[in-house]
Amino acid sequence: MLPFLKIMLRNLLLGPSTDPFPFAPAKTHKNFRGCAEHDPEKCILCGICRHVCAAGAIQIHPSEDGSGMQYLLWHNSCVFCGMCAHYCPTGALTMSDNWHLAHSGAEMFSNCISDFIPFGACAQCGAKIQPRPQTIIDTLGARSPDRFLLCPQCKRQGIVQNVAQARPTRRQENP
Amino acid sequence: MPSTTYTLPIGPLHVALEEPMYFDIQVEGETVRSVELSAGHVHRGMEALAMQRNYFQNVTLVERVCSLCSNSHPATYCMAVENLSGLIVPERARYLRVIADEVKRIASHLFNVGIMAHLTGFDSLFMHAMEVREIMQDAKEGVYGNRMNLGQCIIGGCRRDIDDSTAPFLLGQLELLKPQLHELYGVFERDPLIRTRTQGIGLLSHAEARRHAVVGPVARASGVAYDLRRKAPYAVYPDLDFEVQTDTKGDVHSRALLRLREAVESVKIVEQCLRQMPGGPINTREVPVIPPGEAVARSEAPRGEVFYYVRSDGTDTPQRLKWRVPTYMNWEALQVMLANCQVADIALIVNSIDPCISCTER
Ligand code: SF4
Ligand code: SF4
Repeated sequence: MLPFLKIMLRNLLLGPSTDPFPFAPAKTHKNFRGCAEHDPEKCILCGICRHVCAAGAIQIHPSEDGSGMQYLLWHNSCVFCGMCAHYCPTGALTMSDNWHLAHSGAEMFSNCISDFIPFGACAQCGAKIQPRPQTIIDTLGARSPDRFLLCPQCKRQGIVQNVAQARPTRRQENP
Repeated sequence: MPSTTYTLPIGPLHVALEEPMYFDIQVEGETVRSVELSAGHVHRGMEALAMQRNYFQNVTLVERVCSLCSNSHPATYCMAVENLSGLIVPERARYLRVIADEVKRIASHLFNVGIMAHLTGFDSLFMHAMEVREIMQDAKEGVYGNRMNLGQCIIGGCRRDIDDSTAPFLLGQLELLKPQLHELYGVFERDPLIRTRTQGIGLLSHAEARRHAVVGPVARASGVAYDLRRKAPYAVYPDLDFEVQTDTKGDVHSRALLRLREAVESVKIVEQCLRQMPGGPINTREVPVIPPGEAVARSEAPRGEVFYYVRSDGTDTPQRLKWRVPTYMNWEALQVMLANCQVADIALIVNSIDPCISCTER
């Protein structure tokens, strides 16, 4: 007991080392991996988050009228691993530092992120394509802005035309 | 005198056990004569779950095999998958993995010695050890975002960098920890209560340690200097300066002290890593291609060697994922350690191998 007596006295003088939660806020680091947050303005429905989610917390369903997709993330299934946020290519998914997830039993089936994400439209033929929100056009689309807004078919046609135009010139150069 | 010999069943649920385990103990008076172990009470079917998840999802799954060595599992799993796909992990990521592993080792060892104090009935020391451990828990939460599951490893590297904001914080926590750890070592070394309860019990001789092929601190406290970080170096351990701790007494007390000394070494390792870590990417940006084939990887978890085997048929889901955890090797040796001990010492001796039943039965 003797070597410990000094420590015990010191701890006694230092007082409690626990946070007085819930009467005062508990200390939370800004890096804390809490509840996931989804920004529908940035989501392109690529599905990578669903692919890497071990808990199966993410679902992406077609909406009833077919004009877009319903994005669901169930907080009660989520294990806060943050894999979805790490692999999300657009930064639509992030982990917040909010850990206040206690809720009543009645809220069990509503405690989720539910975002409607409308499809984009092909700039040429108007066909439905993955969403093309402005934030994504400015970032991912910056490499080839005109092709980024096309559906796969129009993109392919554009490439075929380019190649067809390119060939004769090359032949002329190398007779 | 047949009435003095009886069978004492302990478990699967018992106040002295942290996790479910069943012991059939033959007792004569107060002395244990033989022990039968039976396992399988926390089998969760994780190997089957792993075969239903893709390579990415399994990183999260294996991290949840065990909470105390929750970084060793994904790190070793990722190493096995990287071996299979021939992926080269950037050097900075290898340093980051070592830092995560050592931070977890410190916290795990402090937990174990704390529980030992609790089992001797010295609860104020238990509380104090847990409070010292809290410095590391805080560091984990501030740097990685969670107290237990760091979520640091991914296939091809790491997820979270230690940058200008978190490196000073981590170093600050280590500075706080060092004097506390030193003081705690003194208490565990000299306190008369701890010494009377733990010295000379649960003996495992050098020969028995080799015969049972025990691993980790249990082996090292019996004079078997087997540490994978030196025997089969991985990550950046060859570039780091640290000493493998050993002892020859092989009792409960020496195992606890050895763990505390290892925690001190781990502090040194983390400090070295933070000093000499090169810049650069923290993961390979590419998505790995996993060819058909099989691969293994092993690493030194807080409890000893952990071993992963992965077999792929070229799809995005492993055909087989199997792992062997240190407790599997160590608990057989309990039969030697428990022989002829006092009934009151059973819990202390079992705790001294730092058993992790949920890893072993998964
Ligand atoms: S949240 Fe991110 S990863 Fe998930 S579908 Fe949207 S863009 Fe893709
Ligand atoms: S944090 Fe993990 S469990 Fe939660 S939704 Fe994202 S990937 Fe799934």
